[in-house]
Amino acid sequence: MANVTIYTTPTCAYCKMTKSFFKEHNVTYKEIDVASDAKAAEVMIQKSGQMGVPVTVVEKEGKAELIVGFDQDKLSTALGIS
Amino acid sequence: MNPMNVSHPYDLIIIGAGPGGCAAAVYAGRKQLKTLVITESFGGQSIVSNSIENWIGEKTISGVELAKKLEAHVRAQETVTVKTGEKVIVVREVGDMCISTLDWKKLSSVAASANAACEYEVTTDKGGVFRAKALLVASGGRRRRLDVLGEAQFDGKGVSYCSTCDAPLFRGKDVAVVGGGNAGLEACVDLFPYAKKIYLLNIGDKLGGDPITQKQVFDSSRVTVIHHAQTMEIFGETLVTGLKYQDTVSGVEKKLAAQGVFVEIGSIPNSEFVKDLVQMNKYNEIIVDHKTLATSRPGIFAAGDVTDEIYKQNNTSVGDAVSATLSAYNYLLNISKQTPAAQETV
Repeated sequence: MANVTIYTTPTCAYCKMTKSFFKEHNVTYKEIDVASDAKAAEVMIQKSGQMGVPVTVVEKEGKAELIVGFDQDKLSTALGIS
Repeated sequence: MNPMNVSHPYDLIIIGAGPGGCAAAVYAGRKQLKTLVITESFGGQSIVSNSIENWIGEKTISGVELAKKLEAHVRAQETVTVKTGEKVIVVREVGDMCISTLDWKKLSSVAASANAACEYEVTTDKGGVFRAKALLVASGGRRRRLDVLGEAQFDGKGVSYCSTCDAPLFRGKDVAVVGGGNAGLEACVDLFPYAKKIYLLNIGDKLGGDPITQKQVFDSSRVTVIHHAQTMEIFGETLVTGLKYQDTVSGVEKKLAAQGVFVEIGSIPNSEFVKDLVQMNKYNEIIVDHKTLATSRPGIFAAGDVTDEIYKQNNTSVGDAVSATLSAYNYLLNISKQTPAAQETV
């Protein structure tokens, strides 16, 4: 099972779309709101090297894949959704 | 007679599913047209809006919520098939008797433009090929980019095209908003709770947009409006540290320190895939007859932001798309009157 973390802001439409995509495919995820957590925002920027949300981190078999934005193709591949 | 009683795969292909494309799909469904909607996603450009305040019938609704409602309404139509996640790359005409252009002024009605021998073939980026007798282009627009040095390099690294999404990441930072129209003003409002200082760069000498939003911006002590500012370059290291602009009156180049640059300079039409088929203006907007929403090519109709319509609103796109669909319906009726196969079924 993959460990999924998503960095979001409350007003971001693509974050909502990513989350409903997860729900649709029964993916459990941990959400971090970077609007209310400045430290988490720094972590997200450091990890992803950029400042846009959403950022999804998929950890599987000791490897972490980072996906910026609502990229359905990349998310599907990373999560093994056909 | 019923336009569905023909051997062709589709009566109508609708390209795009913003408010315009969705309105067209609903009307096409009610007219029982065998319809295909091809779209990357539902909702159109206002999907990123956290709160839409002028969608008629809803005091306030988010872009995502609006998209869901539009999609549900489209999917309720029995004769409408939906293909999402695909982008149309080219449209070509099929048939050797296609009329290349028409003069609306000489036509008594859109039905008079009917040309039974012509069909349109739509190809998508996923390799899909679909045919229809009529086409409704409602592919909208996409964000215009500045096209300056550093913009691509710092995309997502301080350069943002979605203030609603990314504003919270600029807490306590100095930012620049490029664009003095309504979108630029709204970006400032999105940034109010977070940014320390906001420079609003406007190319002209006064701001556009709604008076209500203008007042919010003028009333804020954190916004500095810079008129006659032509953005020249965005610079930084890993992330953005500032931008360079030219004062278009004095010609002097100036630098601003900013950790964020929000680009809000309007949109460009998604019209590339019909560029060889229909007449366009210098902005690559499809020129339509504003009575019938017909393009210069018989059987191709267009509505919304992809056209030379002036106001570019969700609500106007809907109205235009409805007119375009009814015109397409009349066109299809007239075609089937002309073909022997259809006459048998009358």
